[in-house]
Amino acid sequence: MEHTSTLEKVLRGTAITLVILFFMFPIFWIFLMSFQTNETILRVPPSIVFDPTLSNYTALITGKLDTAAGTLEISFMKNLWNSLFLSAASVAVGLVLGVPAAYAFARLKFRGSEDIAFTLLSFRFAPPLLVLLPLTIYFQQIGLADTYLGLIWVYQLIVLPLILWIVRGYFEDIPADVEYAYRIAGHSWGATFRKIALPLAGPGIAAAGLLAFIFAWNNFVFALVLASADKQPVTVGALAFVTASGIQYGQVAAGIVLSILPTFALALYAQRYLVEGLSLGAVKG
Amino acid sequence: MSLQLTDIVKSFKEDLVLDGVSLDVATGETLVLFGPSGAGKTVLLRLIAGVIEPDEGSIRINGADMDGVEPEDRGIGMAFQNFALFPHMDARENIASPLIARRESKTGIKRRVEDVARLLKIDHVLHHKPKELSNGQKQRTALGRALAGEPSILLLDDPLRNVDAKLRFEMRLELPRLLKDQQATVIYVTQDYKEAMALGDRIAVMSGHGIAQIGTPEDIYLSPANTEIARLFGDPVINLLEVTPERGEAGVQVKLSGTAVPINPGYTGSIGHSCILGIRPEGIHFADAGTPGAFPVTIEAETPLNEKTVTLAATENKREILISRPSGTSAPDSGQAHIVIDSGAVILFDRATGNRIALPATDAAKGGAA
Amino acid sequence: MSETMLRLENVDKFYGPIGKGVHAVRNINMDVAKGDIIALLGSSGCGKTSTLRMIAGFEETSRGKIFLSGREVHRLPPVKRHVAMAFEGYSLYPTVNVRDNIAFALKAAKLPEAEVASRVRDVAEMLEISDILDRMPNSISGGQQQRASLARALIRDADLHLLDEPMGQLEPQLRTLLRGRIKHFIKQRGLTAILVTHDQTEANALADRIAVMEGGVLQQYGSPAEIKERPANLFTGTFVGEPPMNVFPVTASTVGDKLHFDLEGGLDLAYASNAFAPDVREAILKRGRVMVGVRPYAVRRSEHGPAARVLTNQWLGDQSHIAAAFANGNLVLVEHDRARVGIGEEIRVELDPADLHVFDLESGKAISHGQELA
Repeated sequence: MEHTSTLEKVLRGTAITLVILFFMFPIFWIFLMSFQTNETILRVPPSIVFDPTLSNYTALITGKLDTAAGTLEISFMKNLWNSLFLSAASVAVGLVLGVPAAYAFARLKFRGSEDIAFTLLSFRFAPPLLVLLPLTIYFQQIGLADTYLGLIWVYQLIVLPLILWIVRGYFEDIPADVEYAYRIAGHSWGATFRKIALPLAGPGIAAAGLLAFIFAWNNFVFALVLASADKQPVTVGALAFVTASGIQYGQVAAGIVLSILPTFALALYAQRYLVEGLSLGAVKG
Repeated sequence: MSLQLTDIVKSFKEDLVLDGVSLDVATGETLVLFGPSGAGKTVLLRLIAGVIEPDEGSIRINGADMDGVEPEDRGIGMAFQNFALFPHMDARENIASPLIARRESKTGIKRRVEDVARLLKIDHVLHHKPKELSNGQKQRTALGRALAGEPSILLLDDPLRNVDAKLRFEMRLELPRLLKDQQATVIYVTQDYKEAMALGDRIAVMSGHGIAQIGTPEDIYLSPANTEIARLFGDPVINLLEVTPERGEAGVQVKLSGTAVPINPGYTGSIGHSCILGIRPEGIHFADAGTPGAFPVTIEAETPLNEKTVTLAATENKREILISRPSGTSAPDSGQAHIVIDSGAVILFDRATGNRIALPATDAAKGGAA
Repeated sequence: MSETMLRLENVDKFYGPIGKGVHAVRNINMDVAKGDIIALLGSSGCGKTSTLRMIAGFEETSRGKIFLSGREVHRLPPVKRHVAMAFEGYSLYPTVNVRDNIAFALKAAKLPEAEVASRVRDVAEMLEISDILDRMPNSISGGQQQRASLARALIRDADLHLLDEPMGQLEPQLRTLLRGRIKHFIKQRGLTAILVTHDQTEANALADRIAVMEGGVLQQYGSPAEIKERPANLFTGTFVGEPPMNVFPVTASTVGDKLHFDLEGGLDLAYASNAFAPDVREAILKRGRVMVGVRPYAVRRSEHGPAARVLTNQWLGDQSHIAAAFANGNLVLVEHDRARVGIGEEIRVELDPADLHVFDLESGKAISHGQELA
């Protein structure tokens, strides 16, 4: 006797499909738009029947934007590379700094540890615009404005609190006894951190890294103010599509498709790892 | 190696856990720390292991002060109550961890791990991760990890608590041999008095931030320092009756249900003031009405308990008494019966403080080599 | 015949697809009479908790039927089954104090305040938690939380009370004390209860009938005395009993008019021809090789009989537990006073035929208990 009836299964499937459609439709629509010219996109009523064209992608990759007013030089691919580099480097720096710090906050209850951890989190409360002006002035003074280093540094405001707070939770979930057991077995605390804490918090670190990457990738304001054209990420670079002669929807769409690809790929890859890691983590059992 | 704790004080924030604990454990001795949860047993183990620091006092291993010595440098093996296995390593790697730390040769590690595993009967599951092991196998893996490095001091934190009764019993029989083979000094924490009596060369009973009594299993069972300790050892629990010692023809006696029951001739406490008479359920026997010292009781209920039959009876003035006897031995089947108290097994306690006031004279006869 | 409160009919539990997933509970049939206390006894992973959760409705019943008070309930959600449950992990409502936690269901049922108060008082006194009724769940110890959770279940009016390891977190002394009180409480109110436990002392002390489970299979369902005296198979025989039953394989044969059990290690037990009833004797001889079990309390030291070498002798105050090397294995014997035998000493043991349990070597099924066929 089956307990879950066929009707129940069908209903469940339909509901899930509807939710997926709702969330995936914009992305799907943009994907279609990226293969259309401005004219087909803007026709009324819209239709999914059209002659696909790769012109938007070629324009982006060659850096030549065709507008009604003529050809415009854009540096989309450079921006994409900047985004990749800035986000990856920021997350790398964030992990190197944040993971040991998270471990310290999780394991060592030193004086003021809670206050410091909270202060770090509070960086996320302030609107970036608030700190932007003084930051710009400082950066210009010390020569960090319009450098990768300066941007990566500023990006730590976004990345570091995120990594710190997520990873800290994972470290706290590892029973202290497991680490004690490793130390009593004769290993230094450094070895215990590397061989016990890091592997067991692995899924958490991966999740935090992924989230931090996405946040860094999507940042706009810091990069807009602190970076010039050749250091700009895609988020800022996309402004170029808003031209004097109108918005190039097709190229915007193609730009979006290209710019979500890396995060999309990373999420897919990391998801496999996350699931594996989480099911392996019988830390509490 | 020997272990000395001197005046250990430890508190967590405002909570005082240990207040001036001193302990001397000889080389090769198995000392059981026994007591209710919250008595500080586990804290004491952790202090010895070095994963927490005492507020005051000193810990010496073989004479060397352990102040500032890291846990990995103390030469200790420890098994945790919740096993604390490394979840991402298989049983082999778990057991090998102390050997890896000492950078022993690959073949040496393999040999030692397999020896330990065979001893503990887990050699067939060495390739399993902890989550694939049964509770009993986890427990043995944890024990194997503690033993593998041949530590001079072995700390066992209630290692049998989370395994089933059958395995617990088997381990209780096996452990003494295992521990003697290791020649390690063992500190064993438990809440189970049977484990404490079976495994301990000596037992330290912990209560109220310190050690309330320390001694051999005989000392603790036959001469508990106070009523609280008397109640912690023995199942069913000891009978505690309020009595008034008085002088009779045959020496000091007390009256129970109007019948004079002689007590320890060596009793030196006050006469005519009430005190607490402790008598274990197995120290009371059914007897014929005419037997000297026999007094009448009403039988209320009988329950089996591990091949013993426990009888709940009430004296004439409604005081409840537990009597236990081996199952299968006869007992009066009517509601009325007479019982005698084995006067040699009587323990007297002060009524106000609960402290024991006289040694039963038959201590020497009851004690002796096992 | 008393009224049946709960009936399980061919109940199966699969985790994953039926027929393919993990088969956690295998074809269980069981009747529980109204007013009885039943213990589901087994080690972790034996299926006892899955069974309880199916009865409660927290787990789907993969196959089979569950009847509660005559109603078919296995498809109903938990709230409609009229059962009360105490969870192993205490699961108190964290935002209200202990008193309100315990009274929750009674208040929801709109019982008069005075009655709620008096019932809470009774159950709290019984479980020794009167002093913490006004505390919040997170400020009390694990043992207190467990008792509060138990109180919350026991106070309810329900057809069936389900208790999942209700005393697992309590200290041994308290556990001993509460066993008697909980049994009294349940009996006095005529409740029907199912208790899941891995502790056989608890099962023996509380339950009218014990359901021994292993590998998802109900091994035996009977009164504590039945299970002790007539274990249905080798598993039950060695699982229930503290210390566990000694078992060893023997080869049975007749030499002259004597029945011989040849043990491993060259030992031999010889019994007079009338030591076993004829049908028992025949059943044993028919198989030739059988498993013989004897409880530690039934093993006696004597002048004669096969030899054993003492490995440990542990004195527990009122009993001595002795383990000895015997027939390539261990023999455990228990004496009710202090045994004065040293380690390494040789003892001789006597095994009374009336105390022997004989099991089939392959299936593990019981063949005989003493003089009677199983």
